[in-house]
Amino acid sequence: MVERRLIVLVVALAVWSTAIVKKLASLQLAHHQEYARKARRRQEVPEAIPAPRGSIYDRNGEPLAMSLPTQSVTVNPTRLPDLGVAADLLEEVLHMRGSGLYDKLKQAYDKGRGYLVVKRQITPEEAASVRALPVDWIEIESASQRHYPKGTLAAHVLGGVDRAETGNAGIEKALERTLHGEPGQELLLTDVHGRGISSRQAIEPKPGTPVTLTIDERLQFVAERQLAAAVEERGATSGSVVVMNPSNGDVLALASYPTFDPNEPPETAEDPRRENHAVGVAFEPGSVFKVITLSAALETTNLRPETPIDCGRGSITLFGRTIHEAEARGGYGVMPMAQVLIRSSNVGAIRVGMRVGQQNLYDYVRRFGFGQLTGISLPGESRGLVRKLPRWTSTSLASIAMGQEVLVTTVQIAQAVSAIANGGLLVKPRLVLKRGAETVPQEPAVRAIKPETAFTMQKIMEGVVMPGGTGFPEARLIGYSAAGKTGTALIFDLKTKRYSHNYNGSFAGMAPLTNPAIVVVVTLNGTHGDGGYGGRAAAPVFNAVASEALRLTDVPRDLPDDPAKMRVAAEAEPASDLAIAGLGAGPNILQDADDPEKPAERATGVAIAGHTVPDFQGMTMRDVLTEAASRGLTILPDGSGIAKVQDPPAGSFVRQGERIRVQFAR
Amino acid sequence: MATLPAFILRWIEAPRPEADAKPAHSRALRDPYQLRSLPQDDLFFFCKRIDNSRLVREPDPRAKSACWSAIGVASLAVAILAGVLVPGAASRSAGYRLESLRAEERRLVEERRTLDLKEAELLSPARLDQLAHNQNLVTPKSDQVFHLEGDRPGAVVAMVKNR
Repeated sequence: MVERRLIVLVVALAVWSTAIVKKLASLQLAHHQEYARKARRRQEVPEAIPAPRGSIYDRNGEPLAMSLPTQSVTVNPTRLPDLGVAADLLEEVLHMRGSGLYDKLKQAYDKGRGYLVVKRQITPEEAASVRALPVDWIEIESASQRHYPKGTLAAHVLGGVDRAETGNAGIEKALERTLHGEPGQELLLTDVHGRGISSRQAIEPKPGTPVTLTIDERLQFVAERQLAAAVEERGATSGSVVVMNPSNGDVLALASYPTFDPNEPPETAEDPRRENHAVGVAFEPGSVFKVITLSAALETTNLRPETPIDCGRGSITLFGRTIHEAEARGGYGVMPMAQVLIRSSNVGAIRVGMRVGQQNLYDYVRRFGFGQLTGISLPGESRGLVRKLPRWTSTSLASIAMGQEVLVTTVQIAQAVSAIANGGLLVKPRLVLKRGAETVPQEPAVRAIKPETAFTMQKIMEGVVMPGGTGFPEARLIGYSAAGKTGTALIFDLKTKRYSHNYNGSFAGMAPLTNPAIVVVVTLNGTHGDGGYGGRAAAPVFNAVASEALRLTDVPRDLPDDPAKMRVAAEAEPASDLAIAGLGAGPNILQDADDPEKPAERATGVAIAGHTVPDFQGMTMRDVLTEAASRGLTILPDGSGIAKVQDPPAGSFVRQGERIRVQFAR
Repeated sequence: MATLPAFILRWIEAPRPEADAKPAHSRALRDPYQLRSLPQDDLFFFCKRIDNSRLVREPDPRAKSACWSAIGVASLAVAILAGVLVPGAASRSAGYRLESLRAEERRLVEERRTLDLKEAELLSPARLDQLAHNQNLVTPKSDQVFHLEGDRPGAVVAMVKNR
């Protein structure tokens, strides 16, 4: 009896145990993955891994643009239990008293909107307060916001971003792919209190790559300040300044006026302040363009700087039209070709241009990069306009020789003058120095003119800043030799289809002349009167910017510091270099429609890979510079007297743009 | 037995011979430990007091080893259990610490970026220029800066002369 009961009990226990074990096996083995997945889904919380947009730095590592995470409070108006209570609660927690939040919630609710941003960029304290609220109809969204800590500095270079942090102008737009970051996601395993226990990455974040520009923020500030002051002083409407290193094309400063603060959203869709006048606005350059005419003359004709040019009595008649000098004088008579540039004679320039001829002048205009994109890393660059040869009229040669009937940008002028400064090589202006840690390689330069032509032009342009030149005394630098060209062009009014009495006053210069380290181009648009000429309006800006640039870049002086010698004895005559416009009977070049021509070809030339360094030992500085210029080499002299030591040594190979240090001693 | 049937049987049954008669001294010979018997029951109980105070239990070596074995097994079981559970607990605790450190790292990185931004704003050229202007400082002109050559090759020292 007892044994039977025992057996029954044992059997019952066995059946019960078997059932338990079977269930355990089912849960732990058969459905393990499924239940583990369910548990993970409940316990794992997806968290975004931020990948901020790449920062933008100047060449010295100073941040110009940075992104910071920000948080916003959002609600679903249709899920609010009570609009009034919700509004009161949110206003209290987010310190938004009197903001009319209730009206906004009511409006969104009436429209059936399921999403409303209550407040953006909340503080960490406000975020903590919101999270502590025991309600489920408030969400906190994380986002990123772009900051420009230097305000308006380099605004046109940087551009800006929209609300989604996508670049919409400037470098932000041009390098969107490089700068853009992709946030990742990780799954955070949490306990019952929401504390994280472990995490695993679900989506790998891709942070944006930081970019280093060639811009020097100190120089950029000086350029912007001087430009703003000059525009306001001369009553101009706009202006631009470009500072460039002629040997490698680094753009050290690029300023445009008026300017804006990229931290603020644009006021209108087409905010005129956001227009980049340095690269996006083409204009008739005026007498600055005579540099191209004379360069072409030196290479295609037998004209030399000392060749006499008959500038007549101040006028020339061409195809029934009489062109006068800018000033009503008795004319310059016969003077050396160099003086045509130094005094900016329109008649002389026309005569030189006629000797060059249409084909040659057109070729050299293209060789200097005009009518083509420079390739600077900014969107919206204008290629300017150079009419194709078949469209030239009978007076086009004369007009273009004086810098009219051709549209150029400030950065194109800087590129052309850099070719003269560096010995004849057309270097591409560049704004991006590094992407991440990787230096952006320099693009090979193309030869535009021969080294001896460039050297000769430098000497001629030096006369512009000496007494008698149109840039004296404003463009004369203390302690440094300089060279340049002024320009004053009448502005064509598209509404009245006539030339107005307003000018584009320009100055394009380089310094120091012994080994040009910088090229500075200044353009003021809409100046007037005697004070609006390039020599009066733009040359002082060149002086201030170039002096500061040479000081900041530690360029050694090549002239004595004696202000007494530099002081102006008497008030100088206003620099008159006004180019005569409106020669042609046809439409003005500004009326030409956007030319859907084929992609512009770069000026042809002979690409030079490098040079062999000659032996300079025992030579004087003048001989060294002459020899180097004839070979297209760049010298960095130190000391005075006879060349003793050079680096790299004689016989070694240097690439274009590389400098050769030569130590002189007595 | 004083029951009625016993009483009746005493009167009915003939007297037994002397062999059946109980001896006069039979009560005195009864077992002193025998307890009173139950009626109509031939089950007899005996009660005897036994004094075990002088009894001493001998030590059992097998019980001792069994005891130690039990302790050892229990300790081993606890150790195994601890060995199974403690790493998990430690891992969980380390996980808390790790995630807390990660969150702290993210917070510090963000804080550093915020500070970098503030530093950049403070070092803005426009602000520095304004500060210099407020203190009547100006940028020296080229003719106010004199470059001196030091002992080291390439050394340049500049001084500004007030005019």
